[in-house]
Amino acid sequence: MSSLRRALIALGVLAFLAGAGSAALILTSDHTSPRGLAVALTLTAGWSFVGTGLYAWERRPGNNIGPLMTAIGFTWFFQGMQSSSNSVLFAIGVIGTPLPYAILVHLLLSFPAGRLEGRFQRIVVGAAYLSTTVLQLAWAFFIDPTKQSGCDNCPENPILIAGHEGIANAISAVQVVVAVFAIAATVAIVFRRWRRSSASERRVLSPVVLTGMLAFTILLAQLILGELGLPKVVEDSAFVGAIVVFSALPFAFLLGLLRSRIGRAEEITNALSAENEQLTADLRAKVEELRASRARIVEAGYAERRRVERDLHDGAQQRLMALTMNLRLARTKLDEDPAATGELLDEAMEELAAATGELRELARGIHPVVLSDRGLAAALGGLAERSPVPVRIVETPDERLPAPVESATYFVVAEALTNVARYADARGATVRVGRVDGFVEVEIRDDGVGGADPGAGTGLRGLEDRVAALDGSFGVRSSAGAGTTVEARIPCE
Amino acid sequence: VSTSVLIVDDHPSFRASARRMLEASGYAVLGEAADGETAIAAARELEPDLVLLDVQLPDLDGFEVAQRIDALGGEGPAIVLTSSRDRSDFGEAVAESPARGFIAKSELSGKTFAELTG
Repeated sequence: MSSLRRALIALGVLAFLAGAGSAALILTSDHTSPRGLAVALTLTAGWSFVGTGLYAWERRPGNNIGPLMTAIGFTWFFQGMQSSSNSVLFAIGVIGTPLPYAILVHLLLSFPAGRLEGRFQRIVVGAAYLSTTVLQLAWAFFIDPTKQSGCDNCPENPILIAGHEGIANAISAVQVVVAVFAIAATVAIVFRRWRRSSASERRVLSPVVLTGMLAFTILLAQLILGELGLPKVVEDSAFVGAIVVFSALPFAFLLGLLRSRIGRAEEITNALSAENEQLTADLRAKVEELRASRARIVEAGYAERRRVERDLHDGAQQRLMALTMNLRLARTKLDEDPAATGELLDEAMEELAAATGELRELARGIHPVVLSDRGLAAALGGLAERSPVPVRIVETPDERLPAPVESATYFVVAEALTNVARYADARGATVRVGRVDGFVEVEIRDDGVGGADPGAGTGLRGLEDRVAALDGSFGVRSSAGAGTTVEARIPCE
Repeated sequence: VSTSVLIVDDHPSFRASARRMLEASGYAVLGEAADGETAIAAARELEPDLVLLDVQLPDLDGFEVAQRIDALGGEGPAIVLTSSRDRSDFGEAVAESPARGFIAKSELSGKTFAELTG
């Protein structure tokens, strides 16, 4: 068994004994009536607060609500001591009786978090304690109970300094003013909190707010009626009503506290569920994006193969066919017409040179060998040299990069420069490839007409996929008249 | 009188080599066409004895061109299909076409042409 649990059980036993003692004092009192009702109400409210308080304390040890409820229960038994014929016990009872109301203010304001928020709340709670402790003690110095109506058999006041009703009443008036301020402020704060709370927070606050407000309304009425000097029967009825509501109050707190646990669990569940849904949606979108990108990459692969086949068929293959026919013809004319044979052979050599050039271009389009042999700077230099638009290579990395990164960078620059030559009507372009914070940043900027639409052609889309396959990002900035900038950012540790 | 020929191919270098090869072999090249529609019009107009017809043309398929030339009626020219691809790449299409036969471009010579059309 934990030490906390042992302590709580001890407190429970103590509360039982305190309640029993209080009941004994009431039942043997000669100045309390009706005694049966007083016992019933004292025990009900006192034990309810202690019982529920200890339960809350055990369930949520880090929260002050449990200790505060328990304290209300214990201090409630001061009422029983007021019934004592022993003057010391009687005096303690008189002084201590209002204390649970101050603790209740403290409890209401710190519910359900268990702590006060802000200076004003601390002032309100301070005022409640001031009224029920210091001012109550000061009042007790001047009140002579034996001279009070309805307290004929009350014992003498052992701490009486001087029986001065005027001073006692003045202090009592101050007490009432301070108490009314504390109660009114508490009602206002709690009501404001309730109005501003969310639906789930209201589930927690509502039982406490309803019961607490009812209790305080009755208490307020009792205080004001007491000051007005209304008949005792009215005052007693208000007192009984307050006690009945007070007895219900700890259960309202407990209900609210349990709801706050459930509410919090629901909130966490809802938050997790919402987060989960968001993650699922994100994941689904990502999968869709990947699926589309994969399909485009596969299609781009097919398109590339078709292009290579077509280029081969229309270019080098046709030239080689013509070459074959020319050589065959030359062979037949070799003896009879050497001059014509020479012409045919010259033509054949031209065809061969053209076929070789076309094959070289084709091979470069598939993979530029200079890139793998001599690196990015040399390959980009070659692109700049072949470009019909003047290109200035501003920056390239000194070291070699991983092959996929070099390849993607090369094709981004190649495609961008092809577009510059075709569409930009530019006077020049610059190429910059740099390493920044674990990324390779590629930028191709021209001073052309701008207005390029990145979504229009398949070329840029293909580059985007190629860069995305390396977890990189790709973008085109192009406003009319302001040139075009193609940018890619590829991770490269 | 020389046998007249129409050459249909979209590659100028091939047309030039074919013309030279055919003329060297004694054929009279009446004209050249770079696509299917032009070829059909030329066949109707020039009425050649033979048509050397490339299978892959920019507008029409060579087999369709052969059908339409054949459908012109009359004597009609004998059609020789040719391609840089192999005959097997076209499956049954060659046999089902009205063409006299097929010669791969790599095999094309005055001799192979004469053997098929002779």
